[in-house]
Amino acid sequence: MKTATKNPYNASMLAVAIPASTILILLVIVSIGAEWIAPYDPLKQSLREALQSPSSVHWLGTDNLGRDVLSRLIFGGRIALISSLEATLIAVVLGVPLGLFIGYRGGWWDWAVMRLVEAVVSIPGIMVAIVIIAILGPGLHRAMIALGILYSTAFLRLARSVVLAEREEVYVKAARVIGASSNRILLRHILPNIAPPLIIQVTLTIGAVLLAEAGLSFVGLGVQPPGASWGTMLNTAATYMALNAFLAVPPGLAIVITVLSVNLLGDVLRDSVGRGIAVSVKPTTPTAKFAESTTTTSQPNADDILHIQGLQVVVNSKDGSEFPVITDLSFSIKKGETLGLVGESGCGKTITGLSILGLIGTGGRVTHGTINLNNTELTAFSTQQMEQIRGDEVAMVFQDPTTSLNPAFTVGDQIAEVLRVKQGMTKKQAWARAVELIDRVGITRPAERAKAYPHELSGGMAQRIAIARALSCNPKLLIADEPTTALDVTIQQEILDLFRDLQDEFGMAILFVTHDLAVAADICDRVCVMYAGELVEMANIDELFATPRHPYTAGLLSAMPHASDRKPPLPTIKGTVPVPKLWPTGCRFSERCDYSQKACEQLITLTGTTSQVRCIRANEINLGASI
Amino acid sequence: MLRLIGQRLIALIPLLFIVSVLTFSFTALLPGDPVDLIIGDEGTAEQYEMVRERLGMNVPIVSRYFQWLGRAAQGDLGTSFFNSVPVMDAVMQRLPVTISLTAVSALIAVIVGMAAGIAAALNPRSWIDRLATFGATLGQAIPNFWFGILLVAFFAVSLRWFPATGFTPLSTSPWEWLRSVTLPALALGLSSSAAIARQVRSAMVGVLQQDYIRAARAQGLSRRRVVFKHVLKNALIPVVAVLSFQITILLGGALIVEQVFAINGLGSLAISAVRQQDIPMIQGIVLVSVFIVVAIQLTTDMIYGFLNPKARPS
Repeated sequence: MKTATKNPYNASMLAVAIPASTILILLVIVSIGAEWIAPYDPLKQSLREALQSPSSVHWLGTDNLGRDVLSRLIFGGRIALISSLEATLIAVVLGVPLGLFIGYRGGWWDWAVMRLVEAVVSIPGIMVAIVIIAILGPGLHRAMIALGILYSTAFLRLARSVVLAEREEVYVKAARVIGASSNRILLRHILPNIAPPLIIQVTLTIGAVLLAEAGLSFVGLGVQPPGASWGTMLNTAATYMALNAFLAVPPGLAIVITVLSVNLLGDVLRDSVGRGIAVSVKPTTPTAKFAESTTTTSQPNADDILHIQGLQVVVNSKDGSEFPVITDLSFSIKKGETLGLVGESGCGKTITGLSILGLIGTGGRVTHGTINLNNTELTAFSTQQMEQIRGDEVAMVFQDPTTSLNPAFTVGDQIAEVLRVKQGMTKKQAWARAVELIDRVGITRPAERAKAYPHELSGGMAQRIAIARALSCNPKLLIADEPTTALDVTIQQEILDLFRDLQDEFGMAILFVTHDLAVAADICDRVCVMYAGELVEMANIDELFATPRHPYTAGLLSAMPHASDRKPPLPTIKGTVPVPKLWPTGCRFSERCDYSQKACEQLITLTGTTSQVRCIRANEINLGASI
Repeated sequence: MLRLIGQRLIALIPLLFIVSVLTFSFTALLPGDPVDLIIGDEGTAEQYEMVRERLGMNVPIVSRYFQWLGRAAQGDLGTSFFNSVPVMDAVMQRLPVTISLTAVSALIAVIVGMAAGIAAALNPRSWIDRLATFGATLGQAIPNFWFGILLVAFFAVSLRWFPATGFTPLSTSPWEWLRSVTLPALALGLSSSAAIARQVRSAMVGVLQQDYIRAARAQGLSRRRVVFKHVLKNALIPVVAVLSFQITILLGGALIVEQVFAINGLGSLAISAVRQQDIPMIQGIVLVSVFIVVAIQLTTDMIYGFLNPKARPS
């Protein structure tokens, strides 16, 4: 097990925020105290000392006119600070009120201003600045007005979008009803919501302005010589590069470090606003206690297509520890059989399906047990070997058909691709077969529908396509993970009928994952009931309905809405499924069980052969048929 | 696809109109009298009237706008106040240089940005991811012209692998063109590479978590195939959306970077036009740039429509 690490977010955020703000505070102090801190007058020329390398007299050397580079760097920092604040302030003052105004007024004002903004934004930013400087004339403050106007478009759009989002909010309407004036509504309700994105935009703009000011001064449109700014210093450096290449280093690094600090601070702000200002997360103690396999090892029968024995799956927690989500799971499916995997959300049903395919993802792994598919052991398989098995031997249909099909490709293409890759068909053969399959799953005008994109199909139709794709290579086992849950009730029955028909034709076994016992009753031969990562009961479907033996099964059955039973209220199982980290050591259902007693706190084993139950009181309590 | 192009073109009409009005109104906004600027302090009243007449400034501003627009539509952007060269000729002479530089840097930005973004997204929280993320953050903080100076100092002045200054047209010598464009394009492309890398990474990470990626893997398609076909096509959608914005930034950045390498592109033309208050030249440069930006937007819209079926009009 990996050692626990600190929560990566907060630690790294502080590691970034502290040095970044320290640098910026230093820059402010140095800029304010430039006269006292700088060793020389930044404008004092001394041609005899021109272009010197760093020395004890001039720590960063001298430029072409013998001016001290360090002093110019310090005064340049003041320029950078003042100018970036100036331009950002102009941008805020111009952009925010106008954005608030057009957002609130809407209509013609909004349309006209937004078209103007679009036009300005479509011109390269530097060019807009150059044009504004053409009107105002070169010089630092004029350049900053230009940049302020340029970046005000960003603040305008931000303010407008916040107003648009907020003005429909109920409380704004409510304030209007009680007679608050529109100005008060704007100020009292909208401004607090603008603050977080505004702060982030300000940091972004300061960084952008710093770079733009340096660029404009570099080409001679910002700070005019002999004034010291990082941009003009780089201009000198570029001219005298062959004589003293070091001249480019101090101002360049100063820009990079300052902009980097501002940007990093902006990133941290954005992340913390996004997560609702960082709060430290309590490290959870890893729970490593769980049952070792308690059932005796059994070999797969000849007619078993899938045989799972003593399966345990663990997943990583955020603090780096691992905890089990499935323990001691054993079951098998016979050829052509439909086995239901039933239980509430969070019981490990989907993970079981994904384990068979070897697709739990990077966050989890199988630690114990065997998965035997058609007499082949899968747990030791490499990725390449698993890729051979998937699709050909075992395929899966997912819960939500609208998200399990790729939105960027036509549905026919997605089926044909599998046929080409897995069956080696030509493009033409694969397409023809895909259309056949689409026809087979009951979609009319298949040739036409094959060319449709997933978003052009209804949910039911998309699920039929997903089923067609899953069956395209004749798998021996189909895992259906809640395939009807996301569909309309009327469509559900059609899809279940389709599964039955296809099973008759293709002869595959089905592992049918569902939380709905009514659906399981409709389609399954046998049912495994899972609770909190383990199997609690397994029986033939009729037997399970007639005589449930585990209190959880009985609870699920009594919670089923039944058409003939009009008696409200519908009984429910009290409480919820415990999260994997909080599983009790004994019976995991005991906290919700009406029959629990002291003995239930010990480890409970699964008993029985053809039908199994994990309850020490199974033989003494009479749960009966509850429906 | 044709309908998409048609829709975009129609949507561009108001934009182009507003840009043309904005561009034209510089004349009115500029301080001082352009006529004085041309004839100088010693001009006589007769000369003044003559120049005024020649510039067509005796007619009302609205009709002047339409005259100007009509001529601009035919490719006549007037003549420079400064040296009487037709603006269109001057711009067209410099434009290929700036476009070369912008295009090569955009290519570098896309290649570097995608490679870094994909590598980072496929190995989240690994050293590759950290390096790429740090590189992207740093890349966006480095001024392109400073990076240019460093490249010149190292690769041109010290190592002499590339020329320090100047530009050779592609038609003169493809090899020399490549040598002359490499350093400025690298300098210019750096920050866009960083922006694209960030975008690619976050888009890929988002798509990798989608159900349809797991479903494609469940169907037995290889990781490589799923990543480079199923993931990439979806992840490119947001990337293409920022691409036209990035190319617009590159076009603006080219004006500055050209100065480092003493390349006579639109940048030096624009800067001297500003210094000389050469109104027709500035107007021409802006108008031509906007046309290029619009063309880039149209192209990226087409790619967007190709990648994202939902964006196509049905």
